[in-house]
Amino acid sequence: MSTPLIGVSKSILKIKELINHVANTCLNVLITGETGVGKEVVAQSLYCESARSSKNFVKINCAALPETLLESELYGYEKGAFTGAHKRRPGKFQTADKGVLFLDEIGDMPMALQSKMLHVLQSGEFSPLGSDQDFKTDVWVIAATNHNLEESIYQKTFREDLFYRLNIIKIDIPPLRERKEDIPSLIEYYFRLYKSEYPENKGTKPESDTLAKLCNYPWPGNVRQLQNCIKKQMVLNSWEKIFEELPKEHHEISPLSRADNNTLEQPIDYHEFSGNRTSIISEFVDLSTSSDKLFEDISLKKIKKLASDKVEKEVIAFVLEKVGWNRSRAAKILKISYKTLLYKMNEFKVHPPVK
Amino acid sequence: MAEPSRLLIVDDNEDILSTFYEFFNSMGYEVKTAIDGFAALKLLRDKSNFFDCLITDLVMPNISGVGLISIVKKEYSHLKIIAMTGYGDQPGALASEAKADVVLFKPIDLFKIESTVSELINQENNEQEK
Repeated sequence: MSTPLIGVSKSILKIKELINHVANTCLNVLITGETGVGKEVVAQSLYCESARSSKNFVKINCAALPETLLESELYGYEKGAFTGAHKRRPGKFQTADKGVLFLDEIGDMPMALQSKMLHVLQSGEFSPLGSDQDFKTDVWVIAATNHNLEESIYQKTFREDLFYRLNIIKIDIPPLRERKEDIPSLIEYYFRLYKSEYPENKGTKPESDTLAKLCNYPWPGNVRQLQNCIKKQMVLNSWEKIFEELPKEHHEISPLSRADNNTLEQPIDYHEFSGNRTSIISEFVDLSTSSDKLFEDISLKKIKKLASDKVEKEVIAFVLEKVGWNRSRAAKILKISYKTLLYKMNEFKVHPPVK
Repeated sequence: MAEPSRLLIVDDNEDILSTFYEFFNSMGYEVKTAIDGFAALKLLRDKSNFFDCLITDLVMPNISGVGLISIVKKEYSHLKIIAMTGYGDQPGALASEAKADVVLFKPIDLFKIESTVSELINQENNEQEK
C-alpha cells in the first residue's frame, strides 16, 4: 500500500486539490522539492486518483544507474543487442504501458538520454536497444527532481525543450520547515504505522514540550528524516537520545563570533558556513511564500545589496575590533576613505563597545 | 452587439493581468482573470459554458498554459484559445501542439489581440449560424 499525502498546511491542501484536478488529464507532471519532502508520495497519489490506478506504477531512479544501464532499463533490449543480452528484456516503458512511469531524479539524467526521452515524449514511440521496430507507448510520465532545473538549463546540464515538455503540470512541495503545522499529523501517522507493524515496541509518543521541540527543528532531511526519528524512537524510547543524535543545524553562537560578539547585533549564523543553498537564500528572501509570489519577490539587485551589506557589516566590525576601534587604521586596511568608513559604520550601526 | 463576449484571461504577472482587464473591459468585453492555470481551471469547472474565449500565458506555476490548453480543448472544446508567450519558441510550439487556436509572441499589441479575439468569436458565431 502506498503512503497517503499527509498534512494540514495550506501548501499540502493546495497540492491535494491540484492532484484531484489533474489526476485524469494524463498530462506530464514535474514534481520538485528538497530531498525527503515526499515527491514519490505525490506521484503515487496522482496515480491512485487516476483512471490508470489499475495498471502499473513503474518507478526508475535516473541518478542511480549508469547511462547505458539506464537506457536499457528504460527501453528494454532485444536478444543479442549487446554482449550478455541472452534474451529479450522489456523496458520500463513497456512495463508501464497504460499506467504510470515515475522518473525519479530526472535532473540527473545524462544529456544523451534526455534527447532520447524527449523524442519518445514527442512521438509517443520508442524502440528497444538492438531493435529496428518502433513501439507505440501510452504511459503517463511523472518526473521528479530536487534540482532547480531552470538553473540546470542555464548551466547546460538539462535540455530546455525537455524541461518545457515535462513542466506541463508543476507541483512544488515546500520543505518541512516551511510547513511546521504538518509535523504533528506526520508524527501521528508514522507512530501508528510502526505501532501496527511492531506492536511489541514500547516507544512513547512525544509529550507537548518534546512535540514543540520537534516542530521547531528545521528538518534538513524533511519528512524522511522525521520518519526515521520516529522509527528510532520505537526502538530507543528516548526522545532525549534522539535529539542528541539530530545534526545540529542551529548553533546559537558560532565559534567565530563567540570570542568577541559584544559588538555584533546578531550572532553570526552558522548557516553561512554550511553551504546550504536554500538556507543562504532564505536569509534574504522569504522562501515560505508560494513560488509565484516568491518569483516576484526575488530580485538579484535587491539581494545583492542585502547580501553585500551583511558581509560588509561583519568585515567592518571585524577589522575595527582587530585594530582597537582605530577608525583611520581600519579605513586604510579596508582600502576605503575615512569618510566612507564613518558613513558605513553609521549605516550598518557598527558602534564601539560601551565601556 | 447583443451580449458582451466573455473572456478569461490568465497570466501569473498581475500587472499584465490588470492591464488586460482594463483594456478589454473598456472595449466592452466581460472579463474574468486568473493568476495561473489552476485558478483558471477552477473558474472554468465552475462555469463551463460562460466563456467565449481564453487568453492565456504559457509559463506559469501549478498548471502551465500548455496544460490548461490541453485540458480545455478536451473538456470545453467550444472555447477559443489564444496563447501568449514570452519564453522563446519552446512553449509556443507546445501550445500549438496542444491545439491553441492562435499563438502570439510577447510583447503583443493589445489592439492586435483584440482583433484576434473578435475574429475568433465571430468565426465561431458564423459557424453556428450556418
